[in-house]
Amino acid sequence: MEAPVVLSGEGLTMRFGGIVAMAEVSFELRRGEILGIIGPNGAGKSTLLNIVTGIYRPSSGEVWLEGERLNGIPSHRIVSRGIARTFQSSRLFTDLSVLDNVIIGRHSRTRSGVFDAIFRRGRADRELAESAAIAEELLKGVSRDLFDQRHRAAGELPQADRRRLEIARALASEPKVLLLDEPSSGMDDADTDALMDDIRAICAARPELSMMIIEHDMRLVAALPHRVMVLDYGQKLADGPYEEIRRIPRVQEAYLGRKAAQHA
Amino acid sequence: MSTQSISTASAGAFSVSGLMIVVASELAGAAFLREFLLAEDWRYVVALLAAFGVALVVMQSVPAIERRIENAFAAQRRAATIVAVLLVFAFPFALGGNTYALHLCVIAQLYAVLALALNFQLGSANIPNFATGASYGIGAYASALLALNFGVSFWLALPAAAIVATLSGFLLGLPSMRTRDSYLALVTIAFGVVVHQLLNNLEFTGGPNGLVGIPVPELFGHSFASPLVIFGVQLPSQANFYYLSAVLVAISILFAGRLHNSRVGLAWNALRADDLAARCQGINTTWYKVLAFAVDAFLAGFAGTIYAFYVGYISPDNFTFLVSVTIMTMVIAGGMDNILGVIVGAFLLTLLPEKLRAFSDYRILFFGVTVIAFLMIRPQGIFPQRLRRYGGH
Ligand SMILES: Nc1ncnc2c1ncn2[C@@H]1O[C@H](COP(=O)(O)OP(=O)(O)O)[C@@H](O)[C@H]1O
Ligand SMILES: [Mg+2]
Repeated sequence: MEAPVVLSGEGLTMRFGGIVAMAEVSFELRRGEILGIIGPNGAGKSTLLNIVTGIYRPSSGEVWLEGERLNGIPSHRIVSRGIARTFQSSRLFTDLSVLDNVIIGRHSRTRSGVFDAIFRRGRADRELAESAAIAEELLKGVSRDLFDQRHRAAGELPQADRRRLEIARALASEPKVLLLDEPSSGMDDADTDALMDDIRAICAARPELSMMIIEHDMRLVAALPHRVMVLDYGQKLADGPYEEIRRIPRVQEAYLGRKAAQHA
Repeated sequence: MSTQSISTASAGAFSVSGLMIVVASELAGAAFLREFLLAEDWRYVVALLAAFGVALVVMQSVPAIERRIENAFAAQRRAATIVAVLLVFAFPFALGGNTYALHLCVIAQLYAVLALALNFQLGSANIPNFATGASYGIGAYASALLALNFGVSFWLALPAAAIVATLSGFLLGLPSMRTRDSYLALVTIAFGVVVHQLLNNLEFTGGPNGLVGIPVPELFGHSFASPLVIFGVQLPSQANFYYLSAVLVAISILFAGRLHNSRVGLAWNALRADDLAARCQGINTTWYKVLAFAVDAFLAGFAGTIYAFYVGYISPDNFTFLVSVTIMTMVIAGGMDNILGVIVGAFLLTLLPEKLRAFSDYRILFFGVTVIAFLMIRPQGIFPQRLRRYGGH
């Protein structure tokens, strides 16, 4: 596929004091592509997501979204530019309802401020109702079960549903790029299968959406991504289709081997 | 077919009993408040408190009752509002010309406004602000100075002082762009102290003596210092300010409700739950924190103006750190992010120290114990935060 590049990183380096969490990593993500990211714990996978979403400022290197440089742009503006994410350990607004979580995900696509809320009530209410309707559709799209629980507090959801809700919340901002940080962590095999179906459905409904998925579960990595990038000690070891990268000895040694050993 | 008619009949029965629940709860609340205000004997006050405590315990141990009342109010919102307005209107007539009780009502209502103001920060966004008392003072001084030096009328001074207070709120909020929450609490404490010291030491604010002779407001030729005659019944002059502060409470409730059920309220709740996750939903969390300071100061400014024109004399000691702590106690005890809870907290904590005069030396101790007791026994406050409802759910 030769769709245009949507998101790219060039020579990204991230130092925390003496630790080099990321060294000279470059990557490209094309429109409609799913890029898998694998690597052992501490390899710098989450760090990469934090750089892209503006939570960390890279020590050097640049991030580009559709020809615009993202360096130095605060996180909340990066969302409105079209990058949404989930977190490795889910970070829902646990004391708010499931529906409110998704409505908040539409913050960057809505406008009402204090003045509207108080004096232009009709306008603010209409916008909120519209957000609620979109949020309900999104929840339905992600999981019927989650939709039925939309008036419960998000903190009461079981683990798998929390993951789904985080994805729905991220989609609410109508992103061009969706970044998922270990979406299957804490899930059993059945949940992971359901998650893979959810992700497929999401992509089918949004052919333009590009994704980066950090994953440990090799079944998911083998099945979903068009391409896989391997990180180890903050460096890029390999980048290519799963069938290719799994044959590289250093990859097997650095990641697959160790992982396989863990499973045995 | 028969089941359908049964269900409509029971729905009808529910709405009638729902209306009854609403009216009964509001009447009970008003009657309780009246008894409390008119109680002379401290033992009676303690008995009333015990009754209130029992009601709370029952509500907590039998959630069905609480849910029933809550659903009734949700279903009968319009009726609940109309009955509440009528009760607030009629309340002064039930006090039998007791000026002290009416005075306490005015003060309690002003504190209700202040508590609602602080609730935007502490309740909605969980930003500790120990400077609401300072904003209250800035509003009071700004309006009093305008009236005394430039002859500005109360009605013009009111919005002007609110604007001054809002600007100072923005100023106070600016450090929140750089500091984290625990330091922010210190910044607000410092702000309160600085304001108090300035008021104490500046020439034009009258120093420790404060400002005297703030003119009494007038409306259509009716002076607020003269008794209020309604339907041929003469109410003490305090009734003027009672109704004025009631209107301010109503406006504050309206503000609070609208903001709570808006994109802004959601953004505040989001940053309260998880600042980083909120930023990753596109919320400019620093801006929303500053905004919470500004809204808090805006309402506090209004309350300050009414206070200044009500008592006619203000001094720096009306706006100390203790005032801020009191307001914070009201919010915590009443129930963070719950409008009704915050108002109940404000009334309770305004009236209690007055009613238990015997213990007035222990006021700070009393507030401290209240906060600790609530944090331990019912950390969510008298009326805890509720999930938002959409479309009748
Ligand atoms: N905020 C931070 N401060 C200091 N070190 C960090 C920070 N974030 C990440 N690191 C370090 O960077 C390295 C990569 O971390 P991370 O990106 O979370 O790994 P992964 O997601 O691949 O498991 C680790 O050594 C981690 O300790
Ligand atoms: Mg990680």
